[in-house]
Amino acid sequence: MDFDVSGARIFFQVPTNIPVLGDFVISETLLISWLVMLVITLLCIFLTRGLKVEGISKRQALAELLVETANNFVRNNTGGNRFDKLIPFVSALFVTSVVSNLISLIGLRSPTADLSTEAAWAIVVFVMITATKIKTGGLGGYLKGFTTPIAVMTPFNVLSELATPVSMACRHFGNILSGVVINGLIYAGLAVASKALFGLINSTLAQIPILDIGIPAFTSIYFDWFSGVMQAFIFTMLTIMYIANAAEE
Amino acid sequence: MSTQPLVTIVPWTFIAQILNLFIQVYLIKRFLFKPINEILEKRRQLADKEIKDARNTQSEAANLKEQYENSLSNAHAEAERIVSDAQKTAQATADEMLKSAEKEAAGMRSRAEADIAQEKMRALNEAKDEIGSLAMDIAGKVVEKEINESDHRKLIDDFLSHVGEAS
Repeated sequence: MDFDVSGARIFFQVPTNIPVLGDFVISETLLISWLVMLVITLLCIFLTRGLKVEGISKRQALAELLVETANNFVRNNTGGNRFDKLIPFVSALFVTSVVSNLISLIGLRSPTADLSTEAAWAIVVFVMITATKIKTGGLGGYLKGFTTPIAVMTPFNVLSELATPVSMACRHFGNILSGVVINGLIYAGLAVASKALFGLINSTLAQIPILDIGIPAFTSIYFDWFSGVMQAFIFTMLTIMYIANAAEE
Repeated sequence: MSTQPLVTIVPWTFIAQILNLFIQVYLIKRFLFKPINEILEKRRQLADKEIKDARNTQSEAANLKEQYENSLSNAHAEAERIVSDAQKTAQATADEMLKSAEKEAAGMRSRAEADIAQEKMRALNEAKDEIGSLAMDIAGKVVEKEINESDHRKLIDDFLSHVGEAS
């Protein structure tokens, strides 16, 4: 039995004739990202339907809880109201990440199992961190920061600065990809196992991967649920921490 | 169907994902944060207003209470004043009445005394006259002889004035 893990499927390829960027590719990643966005937006619209000041519904209570949690999360981690503008960004990052990670549960390929997605997010965060640093210390202060504590350290400081987005992107991507790979392996392995096991009884029964029913649900508790939520949380947390740190210097 | 490599960055996908992220930020802001924050703000204002209203009502009640207590103590004082005034007035009226009654009684008595004295005088005079003429008649009868009446009159009057002094 063959088992291979491949990248996202490509549905269309739009030729653009632009050198470096190459063709515009409508891949599984993009389609499912749009689906994720649609799901999140519809959920938001659903949650905020018929808002009232008094005598609120459970739905509104949930929506308020989510907003308050996001507000408190950002305020507690940045120590104040300075970064209130970032709350929707941080929330969008978190919820997109969570829904993208968990959408693999319904058999779709996570958009986060494509490094392009995490790289895009990490670059946005990196730009924000840098912008905050420059805003806090001025361009001179920002550049001078690379020479601390001594000038010799400059290359390492530049490297560590660049490592921030790379590590963020790769951490998230690696975790989700490992989930995809391991789940694929478990499905394939269980199919092989059930073929061997039930082949002893009956040859038609061997064609049905019976062991694949139910058992992967338990492994997916860690690889999809825990890992998915955890990575989204870590990515969001790091975003806030880096930006808050950048503002303190 | 072709697939892309497992680990790769597709430039257009990368750019599209950046845009998607910002679109998602806008959507989540527009459809979740804006309405919910508005409603939270409204509720906060409502709560503030109600607390303020309650405070106002409380201070108003305290003011009213103070006012009522003041009026009540005023009313007490007023009542006391009225009662004492009434008592004073009553006392004065009673005193006056008593005095005038006494005066009247005294007046009546003195008038009565004067009347009595006058009556006595008149009776005495009448009696004097009666007695005088009687004495004259008697004496005339006794002596059978008309003596000079004016001498006699003088005599009798003297006698009678002595009688008045003696009585």
